[in-house]
Amino acid sequence: MQTNRRFFLRNGALAVAGTTAIPSFLIRSVLAEASPAPGQRLVIIFQRGAADGLNLVVPYREKNYYAMRPGIAIPENKVIDLDGSFGLHPSLSPFKLLFDQLHLAIIHAAGSPDMSRSHFDAQDFMESGTPGLKSTEDGWLNRALQSEDLHHRQEHTTFRALAMGSQVPRTLAGKIPAIALSSVNSFAVGGRGPAPSPAANAFQAMYGESGDHLFHATGEETFEAVKMLRDANPAQYKPAPGIEYPNNEFGNNMKQIAQLLKSNLGVEAAFTDVGGWDTHQNQGGVDGQLSDRLREFSSAIFAFWQDMGDSSENITLVTMSEFGRTARQNGTGGTDHGHANVMFVLGGHVNGGKVYGRWPGLANEQLNEGRDLAVTTDFRQVLGEAVSKTIGARNLDAVFPNAQLRPDRFLRIL
Amino acid sequence: MEPFRATLSLLLCYSLLSPSSVAEAQTAARASSAQPSVRQPYQPGQLRGDERILHALNRFTFGPRPGDLDTVRAMGIDKWFARQLHPETIDNTGLEARLAQFPAMQWSTRDLLYRLPSNAVLRQAAQGKAPIPEAGALHAIYVNEIARYEDRQKQKEQKKQQESKLASGQTMASSDREDGLNSQSAPRPVRNAQTDSNESNIAPSPSTTPDPQPFNEADTARIVALAPPQRVATLATMPQADFDSFQKSLKGPQRAALLVGLNPAQKEVVAALKGPQRVVSEELAAERLTRDIDSNAQLQEVMTDFWLNHFNVYLHKNDETPYYLVSYERDVIRPRALGKFEDLLEATAHSPAMMLYLDNSSSIGPDSPAAEKAKIAAARRPDAKKTAPQGLNENYARELMELHTLGVNGGYTQADVTQVARVLTGWTVDQPQRGGDFKFDESRHEPGAKKVLGKKIKEHGEQEGRELLHMLATRPATARFISKKLAIRFVADDPPQALIDRMAKSYLAHDGDIAEVLQTLFHSPESWSHDTYRAKVKTPIEFIASAIRASGANIDNMQPLVNALRDMGMPVYGAVPPTGYKWDASNWVSTGALVNRMNFALNFAANRLPGVSSAFTAPSQSTFTVEDGSGPRSAAPATATTGNLPTPEAEELRLESELVAGGISVPTRSAVLDQFHQQSLTVQIQLPPRTMQASVNPVQAAKNLEKQDQLLAGLLLGSPEFQRR
Repeated sequence: MQTNRRFFLRNGALAVAGTTAIPSFLIRSVLAEASPAPGQRLVIIFQRGAADGLNLVVPYREKNYYAMRPGIAIPENKVIDLDGSFGLHPSLSPFKLLFDQLHLAIIHAAGSPDMSRSHFDAQDFMESGTPGLKSTEDGWLNRALQSEDLHHRQEHTTFRALAMGSQVPRTLAGKIPAIALSSVNSFAVGGRGPAPSPAANAFQAMYGESGDHLFHATGEETFEAVKMLRDANPAQYKPAPGIEYPNNEFGNNMKQIAQLLKSNLGVEAAFTDVGGWDTHQNQGGVDGQLSDRLREFSSAIFAFWQDMGDSSENITLVTMSEFGRTARQNGTGGTDHGHANVMFVLGGHVNGGKVYGRWPGLANEQLNEGRDLAVTTDFRQVLGEAVSKTIGARNLDAVFPNAQLRPDRFLRIL
Repeated sequence: MEPFRATLSLLLCYSLLSPSSVAEAQTAARASSAQPSVRQPYQPGQLRGDERILHALNRFTFGPRPGDLDTVRAMGIDKWFARQLHPETIDNTGLEARLAQFPAMQWSTRDLLYRLPSNAVLRQAAQGKAPIPEAGALHAIYVNEIARYEDRQKQKEQKKQQESKLASGQTMASSDREDGLNSQSAPRPVRNAQTDSNESNIAPSPSTTPDPQPFNEADTARIVALAPPQRVATLATMPQADFDSFQKSLKGPQRAALLVGLNPAQKEVVAALKGPQRVVSEELAAERLTRDIDSNAQLQEVMTDFWLNHFNVYLHKNDETPYYLVSYERDVIRPRALGKFEDLLEATAHSPAMMLYLDNSSSIGPDSPAAEKAKIAAARRPDAKKTAPQGLNENYARELMELHTLGVNGGYTQADVTQVARVLTGWTVDQPQRGGDFKFDESRHEPGAKKVLGKKIKEHGEQEGRELLHMLATRPATARFISKKLAIRFVADDPPQALIDRMAKSYLAHDGDIAEVLQTLFHSPESWSHDTYRAKVKTPIEFIASAIRASGANIDNMQPLVNALRDMGMPVYGAVPPTGYKWDASNWVSTGALVNRMNFALNFAANRLPGVSSAFTAPSQSTFTVEDGSGPRSAAPATATTGNLPTPEAEELRLESELVAGGISVPTRSAVLDQFHQQSLTVQIQLPPRTMQASVNPVQAAKNLEKQDQLLAGLLLGSPEFQRR
C-alpha cells in the first residue's frame, strides 16, 4: 500500500511539481494540498543524556530538595515562580513568557515504568515506545503516523516524517520512510543547480534499478526529497528580523525545522535531539554547565516559536529525556542517573500555564529506590495524547502496545 | 560510430550471458594461470575462491587495494590471516614514512601540553603559575595564544556589559553567563568561532600595535619567499596581531606556498603559531586516518578502531582530552588490540583518558579521609562557589559493566554499580591539566570490604580494583558480550547464536585472547556463508577509507576526509555517549547519509577535495598521442575500439575491476553507461566525430578522457554495491 501511494505521488502531483515549466505558485498549491487538512504538526525534541528535571522545573517548596542538593540547588529567590510550588531555572526564562501566554504546559515526574538507568537502554525504550521490550523494531512516532493512515486516507509527501541529522533516529524508524537531513543547504547531489546534474540522474537511475532493497528504497526517498527541496527552496525563508537562534547544532536544527515547515513540504512530524545533559560532575546551580545548556535550549525553542509566527498555532512541540537524575547531588558536584523527569509541551492548542502530573514528593521515603524522583505520569500518556490530538493517530494500542492508554484518562494538556 | 556500437552490443551480449560480476569473470580468466595455493574444500552455501578472498579483505581490512586480491591468492588466505594476527611480522615502512609528518603524535602527554599548550596551561602561564618558555618559537606560541585569549575575554566582557544594559530594560529574568575557557561536553558549535582579532591593547608582546595595518602584498610575498628556517623564524618573531594579520593577507596559493620546503616539525610550528590546540586534534584525526588507509597491518587497525569505539572516549569531554587521546590510542589500545582482553581492560581502567571521560578521577569514597577533609572545608566555607568532591560518582562503574564487560543484561544490579564505584575510588589522575599519569590516591579510597556480584572483595586498596577487573574480564557474560560485538563487526548485523557461542567458548578457554577468538570466527562456517557476502553496510569510516584505498589516492591533507566523516555523522573521536558508534546498517543508511556519500564519491573522484588527488586514467592512456604509430600506445583493453580514445564501456570495465571488489550489478552498470552516453552526446557536439579523433588536439582529448574517467569512478564509488562490504 505504502509503495503504491508513494508511487502515485511521484508520478502524479510531484511529477507536476517537478516540471520546470509550471509556475512556482502552482507547485506550492499542489504541495499544500498534499499536507494533512488540519495541518497539525508535531515536533519532538529528545534531550539525550538525561536532563536534570529537578533543576529545570524546581520544586522549591520541598525542604528536602535543598537538603539533598546543598551545592547545586536553585535558591528560592532565584527560581522563576510558576504556580507557587514550582519554579523555572533562571536560564529557562524565555519559557516563563510562553507559560504565561498559556502556550506552555509542564508535566513533572513523568518518565518510563522501566527502571533502567542505562542511557542506551532507556533511550531505546523511550524511542521504541515499549519500555522493557527489546524486540520492538520500529519507533513510536512512526507507528503513530501509520495509525493516522488508518483514519485519514490522504496523500502524504516524502517529507511527512523528518529528522534533523545524518541518521534516522529510533523514534522515527519503521515502515513509513523518514527523511534524515543535516543541512537544508547541502541536500543535493552533484551540485545545487536549478536542474539535476548528469551524475545525479545516473545515481537516480542506479538506485532506482537496484536489486538491493535497502539502498533501492532509501535511494528513491532521497531523490524524491532532493527534488522537492530544490523546488521548495527552503533557504528563502529567513528568520524574521530580531529572531536569533543560538549558533550551535541545536539552534541550527530548530532554525532549519522552521524553514522546512514554512516551505509547505508536507512535514507532519519533525524530530531533533540535543545533547550535553549527562551532568555527572560540576553541573553548577544558577550558573555553570547545566545553566549554559538550558539557556541555549530555551532560547532556541523560543526563537523557533517566534519564528513560526502565525503558523505556530498549528504546532505542538514536546520535549523528552531518557530519565531524570538522582535527587541528591553526588560526590562530585553533579548528579547520577535517576528516574522521573520533566516534559515540556508547547503549542497553539495546548492548555498551557499549568504544571501537570501528580507530585510524588521529595521526602526520603517518597523517593524511588530511596534515591530518585518517582514516576507518576507514564511518558506514553503524554505522547499518546499528543499524537491523537495532533496528527490524528487514534489506535493508541498500536502506537503504544501494552500501555493501555485511554482518551478519558488523558491529562487534557491539549 | 560503427566500432563503437559493436562494442556496446558485444558488451550487452556479455552482460546477458553472464549476469555475474566482472571481477568474477576476470578472475576466472586468471584462475587458469594462477591456482590458489590453498584450495577450500567444497561446502554447499559457502564462499569459495576469489569471492572468499574478497570477502575476507572486505571484512578484516578497510577495503581491498588494487593488487590485494593477487597477493592473498598467492599467499593463501589462511596464511594471510595468520600474519594479520601478528602485526609485528608485517613490513610497514611505507606507513612509517607517512606518519613522520606528525612528529607531535610521538610525544608524551606532558610534552604535548607543554609544547602545544591547552587553554588551562595558557591561563596558568598568563597568571604566572606556569612558566612561559623564554625564547624561540615556543615562546611565540604561548605569547600569541595568551594575547588572543585576553582579546576574547575583553570582547566577552564588552558583550556582557551590553547585554546587561539591554536586560535591565526588560522584565524577563536573566542571569550572567560564566565565561570560561573550558566547557564540559558542550554541544559542538556549528562553525568555529572566529578567534582572530586585530585589536589587542593588552597583549604582553611589547611591540604590538593597537591597530596594525594589513600586510601589503610585497611584504607577504617576501616572507613566503624566504628560505624555510628564516621563514619560520620570521613568523615566530612577529607580534601576534601582525601574525594574524599576515595570515589573513595570504591569498589561496600563498597558503600552500608558505609551507613549501618546511620539514614536518617546522610545519607544526607554523600551525601552532596559529593555534596550538588545533594542531593536537587535527593531527590526532589525521594520524588515525593515515593508519586506516595506509597500514599494511590492516587487522590491527580495524581492531584498534573497534576497541577505541568499545572503550569510547569523547574528544571534547574537556580541554585535555585530545592530548590524552594521543597516548590512549598509541600506548593503551593499539599495542593490545590483538592481545588479551583483560590486559586491554586493565590498561583502559588505568588510562587518564578513561578516568577523566567517565569521571572516575573525581569519585571519592564517602567515608574516605579525603571526603572527611572536604566536608570540614565545606562546613567552614559554606558559600564557596566550588566545593571539592566529597563522594561517589557512579559513571565509570556503570559503564564498566554495561558497556565494557558484562553487557546491559549481564546480571548486575544498581547495588553492584554502587559497590563497583566504591571499589574504584582513588583511581584518579595526577595533575590532569599538566598531562599527569594515572594515580591511585589512597586517601580517596573507600575503606572496608565491598561485595560485587555476590563476591566479597576484601579491603586492599588499588588491588581491589584489579581483582574486580579480573573478575569482570573472566565472566561468561563478558565472553558472550565481546564475542557478539565482534561477530556483529565482522560477520552480520544479527550474527548466528552458534557462532557467538563458539567464540565465547574460545574466549573462556584461552584467557580472553582476542586473536584466538578471531581465529575461531575466521574458521567458522558462518563467517563464509553466502548470506554474509556483501551483507554489511559500510560505516562512514569504512566507506571513506575503502574508497581511498581502492583508488590509491595520494593524500597531502587529511582534513577534507575528517570533515566528510563529521558530515556523515561519524566524526573521529566524536561519539559523545560512552556507547560509541553502532555497527549495524540501520544507523548508517538514510536519505541524508546517501546524499553525503554520493557527493563525497563525486567530489573525491573529480579531485575536488583539496590535498586529495587520485588518477583514474591509466598513465599510459593519459599520455597517448595521435595515431601515427610513433607515440606510445596503451596496451589496455580500453583502446580496443578506435585504437585510440578508450570508450566509456572499456573504461568502466577497467575502473570497475579496480575500484569495486566483486564488481557491480548489470542494472548499476547500465545506469552508469546510459547516463554516460547521454553525456557524451553533448560532448560530441563540440568535438569532431570519433572517426576523426586522430586529428583531435591530444591535450584536449586527454582532458576529456580524464573527466570521463573521474565521472565513472565517482558513480562507481557512489553505487549501492560500493556501500556494502
